[in-house]
Amino acid sequence: MKAPDFDYARPSSLQEALALLAAGEGGAQPLAGGQSLMPMLNFRISTPEMLVDLSGLPELRGLEQTPQGLRIGAMTRYCELEAFPDLAKIQPLVAAALPHIAHDAIRNRGTIGGSVALADPAAEMPAILLALGAVISLDGPNGPRDVAADDYFLGYYETACEPDELITSILLPKIEPGDSFGFHELVQRHGDYAMAGVAIRSSGIAPLAGLRIGFFGVADRALRVTALEDALNGTDGTDIAGALSHLSEIDFQGDTKITAETRAHYAGVALKRALKEMLT
Amino acid sequence: MTVSKPLPHDAAPLHVTGAARYVDDIPTPANCLHLAFGLSEIAAGRITSLDLDPVRAAPGVVAVYAASDLPGPCDCSPSNHDEPLLSDGSIHYLGQPVFLVAATSHLAARQAARLAKISYDAAPAILTIEAALAADSRFEEGPRVWTKGDVAAEMATAPHRLSGSIEIGGQEHFYLEGQASLALPQENGDIVVHSSTQHPTEIQHKVAEALNLPMHAVRCEIRRMGGGFGGKESQGNALAIATSVVAHATGRPAKMRYDRDDDMTITGKRHDFRIDYEVGHDADGRLLAVDFTQFTRCGWAMDLSLPVADRAMLHAENAYLIPAVRITSHRLRTNTQSATAYRGFGGPQGMLGMERVMDHLARSLGRDPVEIRRLNYYRPAEAVAPVASNASSTTSLDGVDPSDQDLTSRGATPERTAGSARRFGGAHSPKSRMGAENTTPYGMEVTDFLLHEMTDALLVSSDYAHRVNKVAEWNAANSILKRGIAFSPVKFGISFTLTHLNQAGALVHVYQDGSVHLNHGGTEMGQGLFQKVAQVAASRFGIDPAQVRITATDTGKVPNTSATAASSGSDLNGMAAQAACDTIRGRMADCLAGLYQARPDQVLFEAGMVRMPGHEMTFAEAAATVYAQRVSLSATGFYKTPGLDWDRIAGRGRPFFYFAYGAAVTEVVIDTLTGENRILRADLLHDAGSSLNPALDIGQIEGGYVQGAGWLTTEELVWDGKGRLRTHAPSTYKIPACSDRPDVFNVALWDAPNRAETVYRSKAVGEPPFMLGISAFLALSHAASACGPHYPDLVAPATAENILAAVNRARG
Amino acid sequence: MQTHLTINGTQRRLDLDPRTTLLDALRHHLGLTGSKKGCDHGQCGACTVMVNGRRINACLTLACMHDGDEVTTIEGIGQPDDLSPLQQAFVSEDGFQCGYCTPGQICSATAMLQEISDGWPSHVTSDLAGEAELTSDEISERMSGNLCRCSAYPNIVQAIHKAAGKNA
Repeated sequence: MKAPDFDYARPSSLQEALALLAAGEGGAQPLAGGQSLMPMLNFRISTPEMLVDLSGLPELRGLEQTPQGLRIGAMTRYCELEAFPDLAKIQPLVAAALPHIAHDAIRNRGTIGGSVALADPAAEMPAILLALGAVISLDGPNGPRDVAADDYFLGYYETACEPDELITSILLPKIEPGDSFGFHELVQRHGDYAMAGVAIRSSGIAPLAGLRIGFFGVADRALRVTALEDALNGTDGTDIAGALSHLSEIDFQGDTKITAETRAHYAGVALKRALKEMLT
Repeated sequence: MTVSKPLPHDAAPLHVTGAARYVDDIPTPANCLHLAFGLSEIAAGRITSLDLDPVRAAPGVVAVYAASDLPGPCDCSPSNHDEPLLSDGSIHYLGQPVFLVAATSHLAARQAARLAKISYDAAPAILTIEAALAADSRFEEGPRVWTKGDVAAEMATAPHRLSGSIEIGGQEHFYLEGQASLALPQENGDIVVHSSTQHPTEIQHKVAEALNLPMHAVRCEIRRMGGGFGGKESQGNALAIATSVVAHATGRPAKMRYDRDDDMTITGKRHDFRIDYEVGHDADGRLLAVDFTQFTRCGWAMDLSLPVADRAMLHAENAYLIPAVRITSHRLRTNTQSATAYRGFGGPQGMLGMERVMDHLARSLGRDPVEIRRLNYYRPAEAVAPVASNASSTTSLDGVDPSDQDLTSRGATPERTAGSARRFGGAHSPKSRMGAENTTPYGMEVTDFLLHEMTDALLVSSDYAHRVNKVAEWNAANSILKRGIAFSPVKFGISFTLTHLNQAGALVHVYQDGSVHLNHGGTEMGQGLFQKVAQVAASRFGIDPAQVRITATDTGKVPNTSATAASSGSDLNGMAAQAACDTIRGRMADCLAGLYQARPDQVLFEAGMVRMPGHEMTFAEAAATVYAQRVSLSATGFYKTPGLDWDRIAGRGRPFFYFAYGAAVTEVVIDTLTGENRILRADLLHDAGSSLNPALDIGQIEGGYVQGAGWLTTEELVWDGKGRLRTHAPSTYKIPACSDRPDVFNVALWDAPNRAETVYRSKAVGEPPFMLGISAFLALSHAASACGPHYPDLVAPATAENILAAVNRARG
Repeated sequence: MQTHLTINGTQRRLDLDPRTTLLDALRHHLGLTGSKKGCDHGQCGACTVMVNGRRINACLTLACMHDGDEVTTIEGIGQPDDLSPLQQAFVSEDGFQCGYCTPGQICSATAMLQEISDGWPSHVTSDLAGEAELTSDEISERMSGNLCRCSAYPNIVQAIHKAAGKNA
């Protein structure tokens, strides 16, 4: 164990937690499930002075189907979401994607809010929120506010959530009759971070309409390419070669696994596969 | 007799309850210091200033050592005295230990190690084979060259020529238990070291040398390792020396354990290679001349690179009789981790070069690669009549009833007989090569060649011919998913090529209650050596293995041992233990014969009893009786492998006692859009001689295959342009997971007695099956070949991206 | 700081530096060295333990985050003279070689068998609402967070089948 020096606090209310974050002046790091933060601490990528454990905050709990959609308390663990009754009917995209997110032992600790707050560019959840048009509820010194997923993911581990703010919950809007979903990721192995992946929501399939396609594992953040969505809307989604040219808008990144060129190719393959599965 | 029984590992109940202790599980003694290295941040150059004051001032730090604070160079090298424990000012790779911190906790030591202020004068780093060649940066004065026949003449007159090159990546051992050492200071300046090592005598020797002590003042003990795979043959030296130096200097126990990222950054890995080949052959695919050039990236220090590169040369022809061969080996020095032993020890790389040639040749001729291989095999062993008692283990997707696979039946299920096997491609009888001599490129006569019969049997059991057609049909009908199927043989030489290492000792005590204490020089790392040797001991005394207590390997009990390496563990230590047991048994027989008026040869040890005409007693009674007669019930045993004679400079002689054989057929599917791939089925047939323990041997074969296939598929090491290893965690370096094993996995033993006089006629099994994984690589090459007319020149490892590139090359 | 844990049914009070991971707390402060440190990054599964019945990587969580939790380690699953059915199956099927990953494999598989009997959705079949069947593929996917470098995987899967009393 080689985590850097830090203090630890487990506040019992949201206000207390926000006060700790404010007092930390950027040196305080919220700790949710820890499944991404702990390796970063061990790798010394992250060196906070204080960890603020969010597990004691009742305001961040809760998982319920509301008239607006599925409201997910930020501290909801993946395994709790997986076990939510009728999830496959209420949020089929989430149900389809969950088994691809890491391994059971990770999902038993990792939280939805933690993943969204961290915004790992290769993680599935941010792209799912983009596809679903989710709304992220934040709270902070200036009071609560809602941010659309489209405005939330800003860059490499960079989000609209200020250092003194916390995600309180995430709303996945209720699905409409006729909504279709697609999900596909290319991984070295089941449970790994994606080499390229997509999450799709479409309000119709013949033709495609109101498409929202979240890409992940391709660039510095999860993102949509609206020109590509526009090119596909109104088509039957079988011939996408022309639309794929819009992928050039993405600033693909290379890493130890694959080059940027291969990643660009993979993004197209993932999209084709997800569309094909959605349409059949 | 307990040999040949499929008994579980000796410590099985301890393993499954977490009670089996590894070095880091030994209760930390009070006052123990924890150590960490500070590592260099550049790959080549000199240290211009080293400020360790902030390290010394850090909380919990007790002592900090730079090279000048050590009692001497504290050399860690197993070969060349070129690895000082800490940098002498010159930097040779990124991750080289520069200073050493001793603190009151592991965490404090790690924290403090980051606080040093080091300035460097960086020099250009030589990171690749090409850069090393350009700079003529190498070990030895020039390339090592071995030849057989007149290569130039044969090549010039050959009707056909073929040439190519293959890049072969290295491999991280990823033993799940990282390197660890615990040193305990003793009275009079003596040291006891618990080290996770395959080579306790080397630890003892290097610690004694570092502290300027006689070897008798240092004792090394190791009960078990959490995996070794060659990575604990020399790579534990640094930790053992560091802990011993600190323990000696402070009088306090000292412990060191590398965190995983440090382990991967500091320690050596499998050597990566490039192998260029030029081949002269006839129209049928008979090899007439082969010229190999092997380029070996050895890293910064010599370590074991010379014998590794030698072994690559020794397996450059694998199973094929080649009239004229030249093998040129460049041992290149680079500013990277010092590459080291890894299961197969260069053999897999050399063998892959040959199998690449066979694959390339078959594709260029448009012939089935098995035909080409069989055409070029060595001649068979004369009058070989394998015993048809093949054991099998079938583990398929929805395979046999696990309840039928209990351990007692696993080793003894007759599945097929070699005699009934159909010959594949019968036109090419082995007799076609009868006229030629049957010697390797290094002049060793091959007298035990089993692959003709094994190939016959495996092709039948794997339904090869039929499946080749099915694969072709599939590929004709599918444009995106392509299948590939490949056969590959293994002929692996058994013995240390440094001849004097082929010796072993054992120490056996029989107590007056009939319980037996067994100790030998081999180390346990999961291969089941301890159980196998215990089975030998139990068999000699005719008792249950449960009566034999296997104890930790200890340089104070058995001295001057060799590393548990080169697959030699049970061959050497089994024989040594047998010799010790037989000495005691002889004394017992003499004594009892005298007491009961029998001849010593009439005293039999069987089924827990000692019997002679007119008398019988339990083994325990016999032990008590003999003890009361004042007869020694303790003995040492010693063994040295006979008949070895090897000149590594000339590349001539008999380096091996015998060869172990194996053959595999693997079928894969690839997605030509992405390079994603999967092993659909693997059929393995492996020669373990008369297996000492079929259950353990099958485990070695399955595990070796998967690890070998991992080396050639998912396991990719990536260094950046500055020499930093970027794949230093399991998140980026992908070893096989449960879902990577073949969907259908059929494993069988070729259960014929070793023709060489080994312990109970068994064969070594640690390394050879690793190379069965080559068939997976070749099957991927076959699948890529199905995409177009050109040879795909697949690079190893065949990652998805490399397969995609190969598909594109096949298409042209 | 003080943390109260129930470890293998026994209440334990720990007074630890808050940075101590649960794994280090078990290994260094409670003498429970059965849980192994393989990678310290949650990638290998050697440190798998059960917390409140769910398997987690003990290296990826701080001990102080588990005040009041029930932790089951390999030592709580069985003892050498009193093996659980799964432990017996790992012995009879040779579900290991070096044994270093074994405690994690067994903790993980123990929890996995419970997940399946609790009716958790399959990881393998596309029918997400469908109940999981214990096929070899299902086991492979659910055990993919537990690495075995010796690659004893065929026997590990066999052992899990045997303990589950079903054949794939």
